[in-house]
Amino acid sequence: MPSSQRLTATLLPLTLLSWVVLLVSTLLRASPPETASLSALPDWVTLVAQAVFAAGVFIYYRFQPDPLRGTDFVGLFRRLVLGPGILASICVALHLLERFVQYQLPSSDRTFFAVIYTINSGLFILFLASTTYTWRSLVLFRSSGRLRREWELFEILLGGTLLLRLLGWELPTYLMLLVIGGLAIFGVYLSGNQKWVAYLNRRQKWEVVFMQLAILLCMTIFVAYFVRIQYDPKLIAPEPQHAFLLLTVFFAAFYAVMGLFVTFFNLPTAGVFEQKREEILSLQRLTQLIQRGQTEEDVYSMLFDATVQTVEADAAWLDIEVSDEAYKGQRYHITEEQCTAIRGLLADYNLGHIEYLNNDLPNSSGFRSLGLPFGSLIVMPLRSTKRQYGALYMLKNQPQGFDRENLGILQTFTSQTILSIENLQLVAASIQNERVQEELKIASTVQESLIPKDLPIDNWFEISSHAMAAKEVGGDFYDFLHLPGQRLAILIGDVSGKGITAAFHMAQMKGIFHALMQENPLARNEREKFPVPSKFMAMANKALVHCLEKSSFITASLYIIDYENRGFVFARAGHCHTLYYHSIKEEVSYFRTTGLGLGIIRHDAYEKHIKNQFYDYNPGDVMVIYTDGIVEARGQIRRNTARIDCNRCWSVRITLRPMKLRI
Amino acid sequence: MKITQQTTAHTLTLSLDGELDASSSVILDTELTKPEILNYQKVLIDCQRLNYISSAGLGVFISHLQRFQDANVKLVFFNMQEKVHNVFEILGLDTLMTIVPSESEATAI
Repeated sequence: MPSSQRLTATLLPLTLLSWVVLLVSTLLRASPPETASLSALPDWVTLVAQAVFAAGVFIYYRFQPDPLRGTDFVGLFRRLVLGPGILASICVALHLLERFVQYQLPSSDRTFFAVIYTINSGLFILFLASTTYTWRSLVLFRSSGRLRREWELFEILLGGTLLLRLLGWELPTYLMLLVIGGLAIFGVYLSGNQKWVAYLNRRQKWEVVFMQLAILLCMTIFVAYFVRIQYDPKLIAPEPQHAFLLLTVFFAAFYAVMGLFVTFFNLPTAGVFEQKREEILSLQRLTQLIQRGQTEEDVYSMLFDATVQTVEADAAWLDIEVSDEAYKGQRYHITEEQCTAIRGLLADYNLGHIEYLNNDLPNSSGFRSLGLPFGSLIVMPLRSTKRQYGALYMLKNQPQGFDRENLGILQTFTSQTILSIENLQLVAASIQNERVQEELKIASTVQESLIPKDLPIDNWFEISSHAMAAKEVGGDFYDFLHLPGQRLAILIGDVSGKGITAAFHMAQMKGIFHALMQENPLARNEREKFPVPSKFMAMANKALVHCLEKSSFITASLYIIDYENRGFVFARAGHCHTLYYHSIKEEVSYFRTTGLGLGIIRHDAYEKHIKNQFYDYNPGDVMVIYTDGIVEARGQIRRNTARIDCNRCWSVRITLRPMKLRI
Repeated sequence: MKITQQTTAHTLTLSLDGELDASSSVILDTELTKPEILNYQKVLIDCQRLNYISSAGLGVFISHLQRFQDANVKLVFFNMQEKVHNVFEILGLDTLMTIVPSESEATAI
């Protein structure tokens, strides 16, 4: 942040300058009067320099970025201990050096003493500032805005009081006590914010306890030094300085002690927190399994391991009744016979499929008779709103082994598992759906390839066809076959239903057509060489009996057109009536003949339901053969009106050349 | 598709309301598959509100036709709309199944 950088840039020289002023002032005070070239600076200069220095250091630390990274409290403490720890060591070393020099060269020269003192007081203020702002990040860890405002108020009050004290504006004692007392209470209140302790595990708590002790030790070293100096005969600084430093230490030390106690008393609960953490991790692992798209068995095993571990069961088993896989469950420290015995007992009490907790198995006569070593039992059914998947059984050796919380955990685990399982099933279903779509596409291609692309060509007729598949695979088809002489067989048909089955039946029908319309070498006369349409239908009906399922049927019409005799014969097996244009009469009509669809009755009686019809045509006549795809059209609105429309449009267009006929 | 049932001593009347297509024919099939249906002498199908029948719907009647005949249960359709009757006729089912104009004729059979 540029503003805080600018602040730092101006603060640092000012702080250093104030420290130099402080040093000079102390030196001047300390130098023996006889050698003094300058008179000592007045007290207020020293005090102002001290105040500026302290304020500068505190403000500098205040605008540093938050030293806490994430929830790395141990790292935060480590940095704090190492920094002030080194400062304290320097302080002690300097003090020892001073003592040593004094011992070696006893003199009344206080210059050296003064330098050491100034350095140490500077170090002490650095230490206090860094500690205070470390505490700030701990107090404000995940805190509300209110606490932040309270902390700012505390900073201002503390700073104000300390500076007033430093500048020696003495208030009446009772007022001073009141202010300091109030501030102390405020400090205690803020020290109560030790939320961060909950985020440590047991090992981290121990580490933090030791580091807090180390910080307190550093503080003690500093305080001891200053307390000792206070009574030193060579004391050189004005008195208010000490009071300021000693008061500053109050809050820092108090927070450290509070933190130490809170951490220490939280040590026994570390286990609980770790357990909760472990549960959350297990749940996360369970959730991740869904995304990795593993098998149901994996998910159930995961649940089983996680729950056994979490509730610390001595024995457990899992029954899975409904699974797409062969997985039936698993056991832990219990035999299949024991499982069966307990299952039987629970079924007797009608408890097999409900949530059930019994913490006093030895007092249950039924259970006692099984002679099993268990004291507590939890039954947790695995069910969603739709169905029951199975049940989870947890056992402990000692009675009163489970509590309500265990039940809650198991509920969370099992519901998460069921969610995973149902997700897996959804994924499987969608894959299946995709496969079906793919197969339909293939069926559609096959169907298309079964319909002849090239129409028969001869000089005595004109022919044109139009086929348009619906969105799904249907069962509409047509086919041609040239017969010896100038004859042409045309088959048109429609298989009931849609989809792959319809496409298959259509292929069968095509096969039947080509098989039956072969010349019979044993025929005694010309008429018997090829089956007449009604005979063809009867034979096809017989052939279809073996492959058409009960609710399916096929409608078809077979036409055999004979150019030499200028006539045709046809049979209609339940198929749409043939539309015919008489060129002489110039009118359009249907051939209304009777005839039953194929596969509707599956015995020889079928022959009675099918008739041949003969017709002699005239040049220019037009015959329209179609399937009910046209009549039914698409959508409901056209369903009722399609036929009428067709009639009309054919009437209009039928006089055109057949090549142009389009529906 | 809505199917309502009405029973007298020997007669079961099923009133079909709506469209009998691939999905709704499953409901009808379930009704007709029930074994107790063969205890009746007559099963009457009221087609007054039957607006449309698809091949799947026809398939349901066709698949039960033989079973009803074997059990000597008469299957009678009545009140059939023109367009539905047309479908039965084209397929040739009118020669196999008893289709009468009104309920009174249906009960008289």
